[in-house]
Amino acid sequence: MDSFAGFVSLSLVKATPLVFAALAGTICERAGILNIALEGALTVGAFAAVAVSFATGSPVLGLFAAVLAGIALCALLGIAATRFGVDQIVAGTGLNLLAAGGTAFGLVVVFGQPGASPEVHALGAGGEKALIVAAFVAAFVLQAVLDRTPWGLRVRACGENPRAVRSAGVDPRRVRVTATVVAGALAGIGGAFLSLGELDIYSDGMTAGRGFIALAAVIFGRWTPLGAAGAALAFGALSALQFVLQRAGVPSELMQALPYLAALAALTGIVGRARAPAADGVPLDERPAHIGRMAKGSVENRGD
Amino acid sequence: MSAALELHGVTKVYPGGVRAVDEVDLALEPGEIHALCGENGAGKSTLAQIAAGKISPTGGRVSGADRVGLVHQHFELVGRLRVWENVVLGREPRRGARIDAAAARERVRELARSYGLDVDPDAIVETLPVGVAQRVEIMRELAREPRVLVLDEPTAVLAPVEIDALFRTLETLAARGTAILVITHKLAEVLAHAERVTVVRAGRVVMRSLVAETSIDAIAHAMVGGTIPALAERARTDVVPAFVARDVAAGDGAHALREATFEVRGGEIVGIAGVEGNGQTALADAIAGVLPYRGTMSLNGRTLETLGAGARIGAGVRSIPQDRQREALVLDWSIAENVALGDHDRAPLRRGIAIDRRAENALATRIVERFDVRTPSIRTRAGALSGGNQQKVVVGRTLSGAPVFVVAFQPTRGIDVGATALVQSRLIEARNAGVAVLLVSFELDEVLALADRILVMYRGSIAGSFERGAFDRARIGALMAGA
Repeated sequence: MDSFAGFVSLSLVKATPLVFAALAGTICERAGILNIALEGALTVGAFAAVAVSFATGSPVLGLFAAVLAGIALCALLGIAATRFGVDQIVAGTGLNLLAAGGTAFGLVVVFGQPGASPEVHALGAGGEKALIVAAFVAAFVLQAVLDRTPWGLRVRACGENPRAVRSAGVDPRRVRVTATVVAGALAGIGGAFLSLGELDIYSDGMTAGRGFIALAAVIFGRWTPLGAAGAALAFGALSALQFVLQRAGVPSELMQALPYLAALAALTGIVGRARAPAADGVPLDERPAHIGRMAKGSVENRGD
Repeated sequence: MSAALELHGVTKVYPGGVRAVDEVDLALEPGEIHALCGENGAGKSTLAQIAAGKISPTGGRVSGADRVGLVHQHFELVGRLRVWENVVLGREPRRGARIDAAAARERVRELARSYGLDVDPDAIVETLPVGVAQRVEIMRELAREPRVLVLDEPTAVLAPVEIDALFRTLETLAARGTAILVITHKLAEVLAHAERVTVVRAGRVVMRSLVAETSIDAIAHAMVGGTIPALAERARTDVVPAFVARDVAAGDGAHALREATFEVRGGEIVGIAGVEGNGQTALADAIAGVLPYRGTMSLNGRTLETLGAGARIGAGVRSIPQDRQREALVLDWSIAENVALGDHDRAPLRRGIAIDRRAENALATRIVERFDVRTPSIRTRAGALSGGNQQKVVVGRTLSGAPVFVVAFQPTRGIDVGATALVQSRLIEARNAGVAVLLVSFELDEVLALADRILVMYRGSIAGSFERGAFDRARIGALMAGA
């Protein structure tokens, strides 16, 4: 790292896929879906982008394909969780495995070789910059949508008490599925950034746990889009710092653990109290624990 | 005048064959306050859901359900949202793509003015007292301009003054032509405010009357289908302090226990009167040893602070938890396994490193007989029992374990009159035998009926103390509301 400017730009590059994924995670969790399939959504996004760019020669079409792939994967989670009552963690784990296995198989089918794709037409420096800007614009837009629009209100209500949403005459299943669709689109773009923005190939395992780091960013950002984007930016800077510190002899494994330690700190109240949406990860037909027992709510985390 | 809501021969059979509602006819006239009474499990709530179009009947006809608002017993509000957000949820006024927050606030203020429901539109719902939260729920329903408002046990969580305020609101609504259906098992309220009463038992209508032409006794008789069983007599006992709490504080937030100093003597029932959410849960959890607290507690002179939850049970501090399904029973276990829970690690249930199944069965059989648990066998799953029978198992387990001090938290919540009388009688018998009993109940009538001494809890502190013989209902009610 030669200059501070270089460090900043590397931080932004490292942060961008995390920002997209963290925004996706935030919108899901605010609606009550704990989306651990983000890792899978990044994977299928990265893969679809490269595959379509390879087939059509157009990285822009590749980006669209990534959006669709992300949506397909996350919507599956939303539908499984709301319509079929599948446990969100189980469904998410299954989708992650499906994404990993499906893309490994897809590499062989599309490119005729395992492990990694050949080089394809990438988005280029201009496209990369545009996506970096888009990530942070998306954070502001999503914050406004959540705070100010009818849909945002319904999402927030759904993550706290879906029964109240139902008695207000709105189908909470629909709200949750829509949230997973939006999340899938965002995570798909994040995946495309990894393969077509930063690089010009897809390789197995290239997402390297970013979907889970994004979930940590959601917590560290206290379940708000701007907070999550900020946390993702900080984690991006950490990973840029790795390159500097590695040279100074700090083991990179320690640096990789930092995002999770930060999330743990946020949860345990070391860095201010964080309070998850009451119905985060709770199936629609169950009453969030604090509703039946208002009195008990006082001894649980309270974010004030 | 045509009815605002009509039910004709409405029947609801749940999968599994339970006939919750059976051939019910009910018509509500505009502007009337109509009471629907019945015991727990009589089918009242199912009927309310059908009337509001939330569930569809398996037989019969409902007309007018599209204009029914339903106020739930457990409010269906979003605690972390503001009042106005809760009220407009699902029907948000818009300005472009955004919610028109100013219009929404104005809508709330207008509803507040026109129905005398005093609420700040910008308050966060979870910070509101229960009575105010209920106004928000009523307001949300009124925003849809219903012709009928159904309220499911609306007074269960309210202090007496709040109950008066609620009925004033309902009377205003009725005067403007809204039909009101109040579902309740508190009969005094019925007589004070309703014009007509319908009583259901086992899903069927067993009585219809003008309130002016009937009496509490007649309604109670119809609800139970016979006379209400009498309670056990209270005997004279010698009282010595058994449990002493000094400056106990526990929990945090609005429902914390802030400061409690009191004693419970052997052979007396001390009743905690108060509206839900005034620190009772933190108090019970602190005594049970499952919530950290400041201050000191002792039992017969022995300090309790060094004892964990299990050791406290061994020392004779035993609880009837407030939520039998969540805190007391393992629903997938048999009755026998459940009665052993908590005593499994000491004699007589423990033999060496194993649980003595014969002792466990003997205990379960004894409890089933003495507490009249209606079950095919002690091997029956606890989850297969009715609520009343589940509660009898819990109470039986608590009282059979040689208790010195019993905390009974809402011991008769949601169970029928027969089971209620049995549970209350067993508590009185335990008291007569010298056990110290702390009764926590949100039903003032229950506290008045059972307690030798009443402590009123408000906002986490003890606001007043009354000796039996000097119970002052109005004064207690006022203290419960913070007067």
